[in-house]
Amino acid sequence: MVFSVGGVKLAARTEDVGGVSPWTESIPVPSRTPFVQAMLKRGNHVMPVYDLASRLSSPVQGDLLLCLEARHLDGPMAICIDADVPSLETVDATAIRPNGRQDVETLGVVTIGGEDVAIVALQRLGRPKQDAVRS
Amino acid sequence: MFVETASFLVVRLGVSYVALPADGVRGVLTREEAGNEQAVTAAGIVYQPVDLAQRLSVVADLSGLEMRTVLYSNGRSHGAIRVEQVVRLTDVERKDCLPLPPQFQRDERNWFGGMMLYQDQLVLIVNPSWALGELADVVPASVGQAELMIAATPAAVGGSC
Repeated sequence: MVFSVGGVKLAARTEDVGGVSPWTESIPVPSRTPFVQAMLKRGNHVMPVYDLASRLSSPVQGDLLLCLEARHLDGPMAICIDADVPSLETVDATAIRPNGRQDVETLGVVTIGGEDVAIVALQRLGRPKQDAVRS
Repeated sequence: MFVETASFLVVRLGVSYVALPADGVRGVLTREEAGNEQAVTAAGIVYQPVDLAQRLSVVADLSGLEMRTVLYSNGRSHGAIRVEQVVRLTDVERKDCLPLPPQFQRDERNWFGGMMLYQDQLVLIVNPSWALGELADVVPASVGQAELMIAATPAAVGGSC
């Protein structure tokens, strides 16, 4: 699935995405965990919010922002993404190249529409590196 | 059918709603009743001032008419906790108390024993020992440790209070 944050195109494995829905106001939570400082309420459930836009220093763009539900290893997590509706792309696994990106956990990079797009490792966003290696 | 419940005093600090286990509440005082001193003495016990908003890094306006001082004790430590508003005393079924999600990995795991939804609001359950200064802000617990802590308690399936 290809989506964007702050106008930057990103991708995620479809199996790592629980759904996309309109973004609703999040509830701030006092926290010292970087980029995890709010929760989102959906009916009788709440899930932590991962502030990917801040992590990438790219404020989300658009009026009607969207919520991407990540299937994180620790449980569902909400990520606010740009208003641009995500699209589905099929890529060959062999087309995924490693990248040295340090600003966010990725599974590699793939060229889509002539543009290099990082595949965000939604399952292990914010996890310590040693845990990420284990997972 | 017997339903196990826990009682909480729900208070507001800025935009955050937090709950204090009610068994430690010794009194709720208005500004006039609390007086101008930082510490409050009641029934021979000195309640030391606790700036919960500052400790949680929450912006709270403690100058309003609804500001109250909650006298709180766990039997060992006694604190005068100033809050922006006392919302109400409430009983919650223990199954409705939830653990803090493991994605919260640092000091906040010491700060909060869990959370609950109360009248459509997310309410964070304060750990009284931490609030009263008995626990230092320590251990950025790794996610693995956090998972173990949760797995070891009934909190993982509710009952975090």
